[in-house]
Amino acid sequence: MITVENISKSFGEVQAVKDVSLVAEDGKITALLGANGAGKTTSMRMIYALITPQTGVVTVDGINSTDDPVSARARMGVLPDARGLYKRLTARENMAYFGRLQGMSEAQIKNRSGELIERLGMEKFADRQTDGFSQGQRVKVAIARAILHDPQNILLDEPTNGLDVMSTRAIRTFLREEKARGKCILFSSHVMQEVSAVCDEITVIDAGAVVAVGTEAELLAQSNQSNLEDAFVSLVTAGAGA
Amino acid sequence: MISKAFKTVYWKEVMENLRDKRTMMSSVIMGSFLGPIMALGIIYLTANMGKEKAEKQLELPVVNMAYAKNLEKHFISQDVKIINLDKSPEAAIKDKDHDAVLVIDEKFGEDMAAAKPAKVMLYYDASAKGAANVTVKRIRSLVNAYSSQIGAMRLQLRGVSPNLMNAVMIENHDQSTAQSQGAQLMLFLPYFLIIGLFMGSMYLAIDTTAGEKERKSLEPLFLNPVSRVDVLSGKLAATVSFGLLTLVLTLIAFKLTMPFYPTKSLGITLSLSVVDMLLMLLILLPLSLLAGSIQTIIAAFSKTFKEAQTYVNLVIFIPLIPSMLLMFMPVKEKLWMMATPILSQNIIINQMIRGEDVSWTNIGVSMLGTLIVGALLAWFAVRLYNKESMLFAD
Repeated sequence: MITVENISKSFGEVQAVKDVSLVAEDGKITALLGANGAGKTTSMRMIYALITPQTGVVTVDGINSTDDPVSARARMGVLPDARGLYKRLTARENMAYFGRLQGMSEAQIKNRSGELIERLGMEKFADRQTDGFSQGQRVKVAIARAILHDPQNILLDEPTNGLDVMSTRAIRTFLREEKARGKCILFSSHVMQEVSAVCDEITVIDAGAVVAVGTEAELLAQSNQSNLEDAFVSLVTAGAGA
Repeated sequence: MISKAFKTVYWKEVMENLRDKRTMMSSVIMGSFLGPIMALGIIYLTANMGKEKAEKQLELPVVNMAYAKNLEKHFISQDVKIINLDKSPEAAIKDKDHDAVLVIDEKFGEDMAAAKPAKVMLYYDASAKGAANVTVKRIRSLVNAYSSQIGAMRLQLRGVSPNLMNAVMIENHDQSTAQSQGAQLMLFLPYFLIIGLFMGSMYLAIDTTAGEKERKSLEPLFLNPVSRVDVLSGKLAATVSFGLLTLVLTLIAFKLTMPFYPTKSLGITLSLSVVDMLLMLLILLPLSLLAGSIQTIIAAFSKTFKEAQTYVNLVIFIPLIPSMLLMFMPVKEKLWMMATPILSQNIIINQMIRGEDVSWTNIGVSMLGTLIVGALLAWFAVRLYNKESMLFAD
């Protein structure tokens, strides 16, 4: 479980994120929905303890991530916005490298990568060097290496960005399975269909601040719209007008 | 003390780099073999050219030889081939037709008969390369020999001993040994060794920092539950290892090319025993930490691989400065020099090549001084990424 309370961050004069709060519970998929440049990536970076918030607190399973970022990171598996692979290592070696840095034993790495390769459908390219992989193949490897240590909390920054239908479906199915296993999943997206298809809770952010929180049904009711896209536009423009 | 993260990062970087055959060829192999082979070529060329000019029959273009019949006889007796010149002496030198041209003054015979200094004009280019100077020297000594021969005869005719002319006589005692003369040729060795070191670590220093940032794998790497200092230390250790590997290969390459140096025809000795080589390795060891750290720091501040490459390439010229200085001016070593990285290694290796005794104090001061500077830079390098703004390329 991840709780975020009033985090803010500015770069120079630009306030990228102000007073963002949210709760991502175990056994649920929570979305951070916002347009490009709304502050999603900066918020995510603070939540996964890469950068330190200037105000507010992030706790991961009760661990304050500013005080103890290393322990907090051990509880999370993160697919960040940057998802570069090592092109001279095979997919399996890419995964093993991160597994070792997570402190896993060689036997654990072997079992767990075998499992993820099967579940994400990576058998055909698992032992090839990743140079020349397709976008979809690369994202699968990046997800697999991020959650090799089977963390309780899974964070993904725009996971299906630039993927085709088949890869997108494979990843959605995977996330639903992880949810069923009681994991806490938080992902950011600007794609309405995506959020609508998999998410239980939605936090809408715009210009670095939260404008609405709720389930899809609640957001529709709140904005008097019949689909999430219209609801989003309505919520964001209302926020801008206020 | 050595964390698991450090070892994991170190072995991953080493293995990944070994798999990159093109980089291995261009940095490690080229870095180590280029120097020795280039040096061998240059020495061969200069040795052969100098030898040719010194031993070959001297071809001497003379203008107005007819004014000095006796001098002509002297030249011929000394196996000089006198040739005619079809253009002005100035043009002949300028066009590089000849190294030197001798012109006999019109009043040569007249002055000679009157026992006044008879004049010959020597045209040459003092800024020309070494081999041309050999020719000029030979002509000078031929003319001087003739001059003193005639002078001595004149004095004898007047009943005066020619020895009266030699008030002071210089007796030459050249203290250079065959080895120290050989050292003249080997002055470039420290430079090539240090360059090899820098070249070997350059690629990884860039690839593991600016390269990773550009390929967007740095952020995911830092999301693992390990300290950034551990990750960077592993990367730096891998960088330094490749610098050392290149250094060892450079030493081996020199050892292998040594028998092919034209030592006999130059009358010099070159020796580099295995013990000498190991000592050089020991002396250069701390420098590899310094090289890898400087390169890592510079690369970390760059946003792309290309940008980093431009700056890091410039760093390679730093070791050139002390090497060049030492090539042109003899330096009496002082303790502060021994504490100065790069300069101290240059001086000590030069001393070893010249066959001089190298004091262990100097070696100790050099290693310690370089190690301290290297450790400070390394300390800074592994902490660079604790600053948030360093994490992202955009």
